[in-house]
Amino acid sequence: MSNGALDRTTFEAIEAYVLDRLDADERLGFERRMAADPTLRVEVELERENILAIELGGMERMLKEVREGHSEQREQGGGWTTWLKYAAVVAILLSGALWFTLRPSASERLFTEHFAPEPGLPVAMGSTAAHAFNDAMVAYKLGDHDEAISKWSVLLKERPSSDTLRYFIGCAELNAGRPERAAPMLLTVADQEGSAFAQKAQWFAFLALVRNGDRNAAKAIRFSPGNPYGAKAEAILSEFE
Amino acid sequence: MEASADIAAPPAWVAGLRRNDAATVRTLYQKHFPAIRQYVLQNSGTGNDAQDMFQEAMTVLWMSVKEGRLVPDTDPGGFLYRVAKNKWLDVVRSAARKHMKVVHSEQVLDHRADATDDIEERIVRLRGVYDKLDDKCRTVLDQFYFERKDLATIAAGMGVEEESIRTIKYRCMMKLRAFRRTISGEDQQAI
Repeated sequence: MSNGALDRTTFEAIEAYVLDRLDADERLGFERRMAADPTLRVEVELERENILAIELGGMERMLKEVREGHSEQREQGGGWTTWLKYAAVVAILLSGALWFTLRPSASERLFTEHFAPEPGLPVAMGSTAAHAFNDAMVAYKLGDHDEAISKWSVLLKERPSSDTLRYFIGCAELNAGRPERAAPMLLTVADQEGSAFAQKAQWFAFLALVRNGDRNAAKAIRFSPGNPYGAKAEAILSEFE
Repeated sequence: MEASADIAAPPAWVAGLRRNDAATVRTLYQKHFPAIRQYVLQNSGTGNDAQDMFQEAMTVLWMSVKEGRLVPDTDPGGFLYRVAKNKWLDVVRSAARKHMKVVHSEQVLDHRADATDDIEERIVRLRGVYDKLDDKCRTVLDQFYFERKDLATIAAGMGVEEESIRTIKYRCMMKLRAFRRTISGEDQQAI
């Protein structure tokens, strides 16, 4: 196995061969390359095995799901269905009581109704300098917000004035359910004239403050003229008394 | 699900397992689990034990299909029964279960006839590879390589761009490639 990096073009060529996605001519050409290149042959075998390992993981998950769908209820006694009926009634009563106790507040409801997470930036293969940022963006897109925050925070120490880093750290905090940490970070971008993220930062900072139940602070946010989120924010404030 | 009359085409269940088809797995379960369940229950096991044995046997059958190791005209029910039975006998004969009563112990001979030991070793090794993946890589790689979804479908489902999924897939596979260096024996093959 080669210890060096495998470039994406070669990786994808091997992948297409292993997954049988080459036409006859391409396949023949690839097999000729393999015949002349022992390193390529090793890489093909390695990738084939890695793909098989992933398929095995998927198959074992599928088998578990099939198994769960056929649980061994028939081994249980005759009182099972009666017990289930009582349990269902108790569960309904309990969930009704729980809903009444834990029903969302106005701020929670408004936040949930209007919040759609920032989708993030496209992650393309780029320079080494962008690698660390993109690595965090990958984590962000996959919902691993703490990992993204931790990686971006390292970069923010090197570039403390970066509006991009502040904006995405704020978004990640908001997505992770920490509006109290998201708001101050987003507000620094919201006030930054000329930032490409200013308008969206105003909106997400507003939502973070709404989620915190801080109507006055939310009302104090100045939306830029032409910010499409301004009208939505006014409508939310009118409901948020 | 039985063998087709067309010699060139594999039986439907083989083709189904080859493409990781859920309906094929469910059909094999419904058709062949009852016999295995009966055997395990007759031999001091529980319903859960039977499920474990069936799951192990199905994994061996699937891997045999993927590796092109099945003898032509293999009966999936017979294969699953033999593998599950031998696995259960291994469990029963283990020290912890010496007190159990075993019916049909003469069928231990089947253990060698199936010759799936190397497949089973391979499964253990590949499980070790899969375990190296973190959840976020599994989310993307499972969909692409196991469920055979295209990049655009995965991207739409996750609310991200297709190019991002392509990059994530490459990075995750490179992580896996790097992990493989630590697996024993692999280092010897370094070029």
